[in-house]
Amino acid sequence: MALLIYQRETGLKTMSEFLRNWLTVLIFGGVGILLVSVFLGLGSLLRPSRDTPQKRINYESGVDPQGDMWSQANIRYYVFALMFVLFDVEAVFIFPWAARLEVYGLFGLVEMFIFIFILALGLLYAWRKRLLRWV
Amino acid sequence: MSTNLLIVAFERPAIDWHAVAPEIVLLSVGVLITLLDILFLEKARPYMAALSGLGILATAIPLLTLGIDGTERVLFDGAYVVDNFSLVLKAIFLLAGYVVILLSTNYIVDGDYWESEYYGLLLASLMGMIMMASSRDLISVFVALELLSIPAYLMVAWRKRDPKSNEAGLKYYLMGVFASAVMLYGMSLLFGVSGTTVLSEIADSIDAGNGSSSVMTLGIVFVVAGFAFKVSAVPFHTWAPDVYEGAPTPVTAFLSVASKAAGFVALLALIFVGFYELSNIWEPLIWILAALSMTVGNLVALRQTNIVRLMAYSGVAQTGFMIAPLAVAGHSLSTGNQALSAIVTYLAIYAAMNLGAFAVIITLARRTGSAEIDSFSGAFHFAPGLTVAMTIFLFSLAGIPPLGGWFAKFEVFRVLATSGETWGYLLAVVAAINSVIALFYYATIARKMWADDPSEKDLNNIEVTPSLVSALAICVLVTLLFGIFPQLVARFTEVSLLAFGV
Amino acid sequence: MSITTTWYLLLAAILFSIGTTGLLVRRNPLIMFMCIELMLNAVNITFVSIGSHLNDLGGQLAVFFVLVVAAAEVVIGLALVVAIMRRRSRTNADDLKILGG
Repeated sequence: MALLIYQRETGLKTMSEFLRNWLTVLIFGGVGILLVSVFLGLGSLLRPSRDTPQKRINYESGVDPQGDMWSQANIRYYVFALMFVLFDVEAVFIFPWAARLEVYGLFGLVEMFIFIFILALGLLYAWRKRLLRWV
Repeated sequence: MSTNLLIVAFERPAIDWHAVAPEIVLLSVGVLITLLDILFLEKARPYMAALSGLGILATAIPLLTLGIDGTERVLFDGAYVVDNFSLVLKAIFLLAGYVVILLSTNYIVDGDYWESEYYGLLLASLMGMIMMASSRDLISVFVALELLSIPAYLMVAWRKRDPKSNEAGLKYYLMGVFASAVMLYGMSLLFGVSGTTVLSEIADSIDAGNGSSSVMTLGIVFVVAGFAFKVSAVPFHTWAPDVYEGAPTPVTAFLSVASKAAGFVALLALIFVGFYELSNIWEPLIWILAALSMTVGNLVALRQTNIVRLMAYSGVAQTGFMIAPLAVAGHSLSTGNQALSAIVTYLAIYAAMNLGAFAVIITLARRTGSAEIDSFSGAFHFAPGLTVAMTIFLFSLAGIPPLGGWFAKFEVFRVLATSGETWGYLLAVVAAINSVIALFYYATIARKMWADDPSEKDLNNIEVTPSLVSALAICVLVTLLFGIFPQLVARFTEVSLLAFGV
Repeated sequence: MSITTTWYLLLAAILFSIGTTGLLVRRNPLIMFMCIELMLNAVNITFVSIGSHLNDLGGQLAVFFVLVVAAAEVVIGLALVVAIMRRRSRTNADDLKILGG
C-alpha cells in the first residue's frame, strides 16, 4: 500500500511499471505456493487419519503387492520400449517433410536420407550390441 | 515468421555451407565413430580417443577460415548467426573438448567401462555447445541446450557399476530436466508476448511496446532461472557438488567448464540480443544471483575436505564473478559491450585454469586413490611438476597477478567500477571481499601440497601419461600467456552482440 | 461460453504447477518423470494455443522439437533408472544419499 501511495505521489511512471511487472511475478509465485499448500493442506485436513498397517501397503489395482516393487517389471521390456519410443518419435520430422515432398525436391530427399541414415545408425548400433535379442 | 512460414521454409533455404562447416565436420566425425564402433566393435576401441581428438582439430580448421574471413553470416532467418562472438566461443568449446579428451584417454578405460560410446557422446555434447554459440532463436537455443545436456547425463553416470556415479547421473538428470522445463515454459511465454521465436525479432517486439507486459517479465524470470541451473548459480547450485563428486573426474572437468560456458553463452545471447532493453527486469535478478553465488560458494568451499567438492563450490563462486558484469550491462551500450567482453574473457581463462586444476587432480587422485585434500599433502615430494602446475592454477583461480585469472577478475572489476551505478560499486565490493575469502582456501591447498609431510611412504616420482602432460602443458601455457600478455586475449574477446537490433 | 485462448493458457499454467509440485514433492523417479512430462506438455499446450491464436505456425514447430526432445530425455532417464535398478532392489530418490547433499 505504501508503495502504491509512494508511486502516485512521485509519479515515477517507469518505476511503477517496473514494480507492477514484478508484482505479477510475486503474485504468480504466491498463487503457486498457495495452490500447493491448499492442495496438500486440504487433503491432510479433510482425510481422517486412522492408520492401519494394511493401509500402508502400496495400492496395486487391489492386488496385494508381493515382493519388491521392482521385481515384477522385467528389464528386457524396458529396452524394447525405450528403443520404440526413440525411433517412433522421429517420425514427427518425417511427416511434415512428406506432406510437402514435391516442393523440397531432390535437396529435401537427400537431406531426409541423411537424417534417416543417422537414425538407422542408431538402430544398427543397438543390433550390433545385441540389444535386439530376446535374452 | 507468420502464417506462410511453412511455405517460405519449404523453398530450398539458401545455406551458407562455409558457415555451418564446423558443425558438419564435427557431426561427420561423430557419425564416423559410431560407424567404426558398429563395424569393428572392440577392435576399434584403442583408436577412438585419437580419432575424436583429431576430429576436434579438424573442426577447428573451418573455424579458423571463418575467423580469417571475418564476415558476419546470418542463416535461417536470423535463427543461426556466425559472428565473432560465436566463433570465439566455439574455439573455447573445442579447446576445452580437446583437453577433456586428453584427460579421458587413460581414465575411462579404467574398470573396463565402454569407451567408444563415451567419445561419441562427448562429441555430441560438444556439437550442442557449438550450436549453442550460434543460436539466436528460442527453439535453436533449446535444441542446442538439450543436445549438450542429454549426452552429459549419460556421461555423468558412465561408471555403471559405481553407485556414486549412478546416483550423480540421476540427480543431474532430474535437476537438468527440471531446469529445462522451467526455461521452456519461460520461452513459451516469451513467444506468447512477442509472437516470434527469433531473438532479434523479440527485441523488435519489445521496442514496439510489448516489453511492459508482465507476462514478459515472468518469461524472463523463468528463462534466467533455467539457465541459472545450468551455470550452477546460487540458489540453483545444489546439484553441482554431488554431481561433480560422483561423476568420472574428466566428465566433471567437462561439466564445470564447457557445460557452464554453454549456459553462459545462451544467457548472453538471450539477454543481449533478445531483451537487452528490459534491463530493469533482468539486472536485479542477475545482481542477486551474482552476489549470492560468490558469497555462498566461497563460504561453503571453505569447509570442504574433498577436493572435487571444493572445486564444485569454487566453481559456483567463479560463476558469481562471471555473471557479475551482466548486472550492470544494461546501463549503456558501451558498458554492455564491455561486460560482454569481460565475460567472454573470463570464460576463456576460466576454461584453461579449471581444466588444468582438474588435470592435476585426476593424476594425483589416481596415485593416492582418494580425492580428500589431506591425501594430497606433501605432493611436492613425489610430484614436483604437478605441484608447481597446481599452484599456478590455484593462484590463477584466486586471481593473483601475473596469471590469467588476475586479468579475468580485473576486467570484471573494471566493468563494475566504471559503470557509474551504485549497484555496480556495491557488487564490486562484494566481489573484492570474496576474492580474499577465495584466496584463503586456494592457498590452503597449495600450502598443504608444498609444506606438509606426505602421508604415504612411496616417494617415487609419479608417472604422468603423455596425454595428461600435453593437457597440462596447454592449460599452463594458456593461463600464463593470458596473464602476462592480457592484450592477447583481449584482442580475441573484443566481441559485440549489440551491433544491431538495438 | 466459448473457450478462448486464455483458458488454454490457464490450463497450461495449472498443469505446469501440478508438474512442478509433483516433481518437488514426490520421491519415486518414475512419478517424477511423469511430472516432467506434465511440465513439458504444459509448455506444448502454451505453444500450440498461442500459435493458433496468433495464426503462427512457429508455435507448432516448437512443439515438434519439444516432443522429440522430451522423448529422448525420458528414454535417458529410464535408462538411468534401469541401470540403478540392476544394482539395487528399490529406487527412491530419498535413498540416493551416498553423496550427502
